[in-house]
Amino acid sequence: MRTGSLLLAATICGTWAVVYLVTQVVVSPPLGVGTTVVAGTAASVLLVLGYPSALRGPRAPLARWRRLRGRAVGSRPAGDHAEGRGVERSRRRIVAGHRMPLRSGLTADAARRTATLLRPLLGGDAVVITDRELNLAFVGPGSDHHEAGGRVRAAAVRSSIDKGRTVVTRRASAMGCDVPGCPLRSAVVVPLVVGERVVGTIGVFRTHDEPAPRDQVEDMASILSLHLELAEADRERKLAADARLDALRAQINPHFLFNILNTIASKSRTDPDEARQLLLRLSDFFRYAVRQEGQLAEFAQEYFFVRTYLSLEQARFGDRLRVRYDVDPQVLTAHVPVLTIQPLVENAVKHGLATKVQGGTVTLRARVDPLTRTTTIRVTDDGVGMAGDVLDRLGTPLVARAPDGSHGEAGARGGVGLQNISERLTTLFGERFTLDIQSTEGEGTVVEVRVPLR
Amino acid sequence: MEFDDGVDEHDTPAEVDAAFRTLRRVAITHVVLFLAALMGVPALSLTLGWWSDGRLAGGMSPGFAMAAFGLYAFFLVIGLAAASLSSAVEARMLGGRHVDDADGFPPEEDRP
Repeated sequence: MRTGSLLLAATICGTWAVVYLVTQVVVSPPLGVGTTVVAGTAASVLLVLGYPSALRGPRAPLARWRRLRGRAVGSRPAGDHAEGRGVERSRRRIVAGHRMPLRSGLTADAARRTATLLRPLLGGDAVVITDRELNLAFVGPGSDHHEAGGRVRAAAVRSSIDKGRTVVTRRASAMGCDVPGCPLRSAVVVPLVVGERVVGTIGVFRTHDEPAPRDQVEDMASILSLHLELAEADRERKLAADARLDALRAQINPHFLFNILNTIASKSRTDPDEARQLLLRLSDFFRYAVRQEGQLAEFAQEYFFVRTYLSLEQARFGDRLRVRYDVDPQVLTAHVPVLTIQPLVENAVKHGLATKVQGGTVTLRARVDPLTRTTTIRVTDDGVGMAGDVLDRLGTPLVARAPDGSHGEAGARGGVGLQNISERLTTLFGERFTLDIQSTEGEGTVVEVRVPLR
Repeated sequence: MEFDDGVDEHDTPAEVDAAFRTLRRVAITHVVLFLAALMGVPALSLTLGWWSDGRLAGGMSPGFAMAAFGLYAFFLVIGLAAASLSSAVEARMLGGRHVDDADGFPPEEDRP
């Protein structure tokens, strides 16, 4: 419990002692009991609430956002009218990128919300957002025939998509709308570009001949394009995370299967009941490995997977493999990354104990610290351990590749699995996790994963 | 626990041992809370004059109200919590197949 509850408990006890000394011993006459209790309780509440925040450290993004807001509010001239406040609010939403609807991709709902948000900001009477074929959203006059979900009618929009550049029209005749009586007379249409591809457009229409400021619309289109690129990057990152998970699934060692099948085959003569049990466990093992979806699973499910694996290995190794689980009740319902614990346990068995003649013990310890809101999983073995240089190589990102393209010695010692786990944890939690490996040659290895409580 | 083919499932000694130790932790926490509440009443009577001299609704002192009602309510709450937590621990740490049996594959007889 490096950063856990004991330190807080000690701090609270010390605080109560100080409160008692100050209110009952130092002052004369002593203060009332009620005052002492209230002061101590208030100090305890403050400590309990502030302790996790102190451990997390300063919240940089929030602090930045607050500074930005302070500047925006401070720079606003006095006597701004309601519309000005609306525009300011819209601009702030766009600057605080996570609120931008298009951040989740170019969908009809996101386009509608974006168009509503941008209409007062861009000074147009109507705003349209399209993909390459359809109007995804249209807000303002003319929405009766430029309806959302319909095909792109304005020739200016089609022209912008085809040419991939800004189109400005100043006359109703140049708008190219085939519906008589269309109130739109001028337009600025700018393509939305992701990479080199035009994925859609944003158009600002006016009901008179003076078009909206071109620079303003182009700047906004650049921001929207950036959000769309980020959305695509998010999608690719998610695909990469899924691919890593699939790679880990595919990495289930075929030798493990062969060994278990051989064990079952030998036991089918001597102990048919146990052979049957092992087959059922093997079925459970592969069912979980294949069917598990998503990146997070309840710890209890991962625990089931681990003990299924270890019971199969115990059937093979016999008394040489001893197992000890030490699981907190609270951790059973916490969510942990899928297929993270079993590879660590497999490494402990395969690289720590398999080559040790007298065998050893694998210990799985799982804890939740509700104050720091972290889940800690530690896999310990008292096997052969690792040499210092191997441990150093495990700690480097290039562990996976030797010059010949193989994974080298570190890979053979579980480096590929660890690298995969580390990458997936980075994808899921950013920098809010730790993966510690400690090993002493001849004494064993400790691998500890600490992730945010979910 | 019965599998669908009628074969009894046997948890390994390590799994049973782990479940036992986790349940023991639940039980110890329960006992500690129970004793803390039980010892708290006389401790407060000795240290806080208000605990015995104060008057609540019906002329009861806080100590009397706690001994007459509060303790039993507290014991009921922690007893129920410990029992439900123990059941949940046992269900999650022992036995097999936490997922339903539908594995998305067609039945054996439908496969080519």
